[in-house]
Amino acid sequence: MSADVSDLSLVRRVQGGDKGAFDALVRKYQHKLVKLVMRYVRNPAEAEDIAQEAFIKAYRALPQFRGDSAFYTWLYRIAINTAKNAVVSRDRSPIEYNIDRSSDAAEESYDMQGRMKDSETPEGLVLTDEIRRTVNAAIEALPEDLKTAIVLRELDGLSYEEIAAAMDCPVGTVRSRIFRAREAIDRRLREVFEGGLGRTEDMG
Amino acid sequence: MNEELDSQLSAMFDNELPAAECELLARRLSRDEDLKARWSAYAAIGATIRAEGGVRLNSNLAVRVNNAISSEPAVAVAKSIEPSRATSRRPVPRWLMPLGGIAVAASVAAASILFLRYESPMQPVAQSLPVTSSSNQTLVAKNAVPAAPDSYTVPKTLPRRSIVPSTQLANYVVAHSEFSSPVNRRNLLSAFMASESGTAGAPSGSDEPNEDVIDDAKSPH
Repeated sequence: MSADVSDLSLVRRVQGGDKGAFDALVRKYQHKLVKLVMRYVRNPAEAEDIAQEAFIKAYRALPQFRGDSAFYTWLYRIAINTAKNAVVSRDRSPIEYNIDRSSDAAEESYDMQGRMKDSETPEGLVLTDEIRRTVNAAIEALPEDLKTAIVLRELDGLSYEEIAAAMDCPVGTVRSRIFRAREAIDRRLREVFEGGLGRTEDMG
Repeated sequence: MNEELDSQLSAMFDNELPAAECELLARRLSRDEDLKARWSAYAAIGATIRAEGGVRLNSNLAVRVNNAISSEPAVAVAKSIEPSRATSRRPVPRWLMPLGGIAVAASVAAASILFLRYESPMQPVAQSLPVTSSSNQTLVAKNAVPAAPDSYTVPKTLPRRSIVPSTQLANYVVAHSEFSSPVNRRNLLSAFMASESGTAGAPSGSDEPNEDVIDDAKSPH
């Protein structure tokens, strides 16, 4: 199996003018990219801003993407560089002491505080924790073969072929087990959160 | 929801779906909000299992990016460079790449020799003979040089396109340039463009990925 075949299918659609396909790529890699950027910045809200900028840069550069490397490898490089540039420009910008209490300065300070606390709002944290608890509980409730398959895939990053060898079963069975594990977890998420995780994004 | 479709989606998420099925499903995924919601859920499930700390699972990042690019023009790629080499070509072994460069160099050298020979077809044979001694040189000169004609005839120069068709040579050089090193490639293409200036257009398309992105990604900080 080609390592990047599904991403390439989506990339080609974007290159053909389909923005919806880019949305699918963003949804797939947003968590990975934010985690990556957080090696450079500690603030989750800032990490999301940098990840957003990296995605937009990638979208603009996609006409030049030829598929010589995996899409995520290419995106990874853009994100790393965007993060480095953001850190450098942030370090260069002078520190603003809030001595002047004029309305503009106060407003800016308020905005900054608001942004820094954006990801740490009680609602946001509670929701993230609730999602984690639900997913973990759903995984614990899975039959052993489904749990092993999904963990080998998501935690250890094994291919279907490698999982099939590890579990001594056909590749088709692996595909079915991983799908059924995801469905069970997603079903549990939809029970807890109206519409499931895809819908909760609007709440963030 | 169709179970087979969901199973395909799960395999596609893992890059484990055959290319032909991916093409069809990618089209559907880009339009179907329900499929996208499942797709997002798969990503969040993976992030949770990997315990990606600090990442908000209810993030609206995708919505923000979507809003940002909605005002941008849709990207478009010229048809000539659209097919991906990752799926349409067999990978070339690394050990063959230097041989490719040598082959290109030899081809260009051969083309240059042909070109020079056609450019000066009236050169005396004596100039191309090896010289071993001054006496031999005199002898050869006496024997080889024919009696001068009464009137001088301007030699006819053959049109350049009749030697090596420019488009054909351009395609050849460009096709083989991907196997040579970047320095060799640049030298060959420069030499080719210089020799063909005015007769051939620049080869269209580039195999290099976006230089801005590469430079951007490589620049140390």
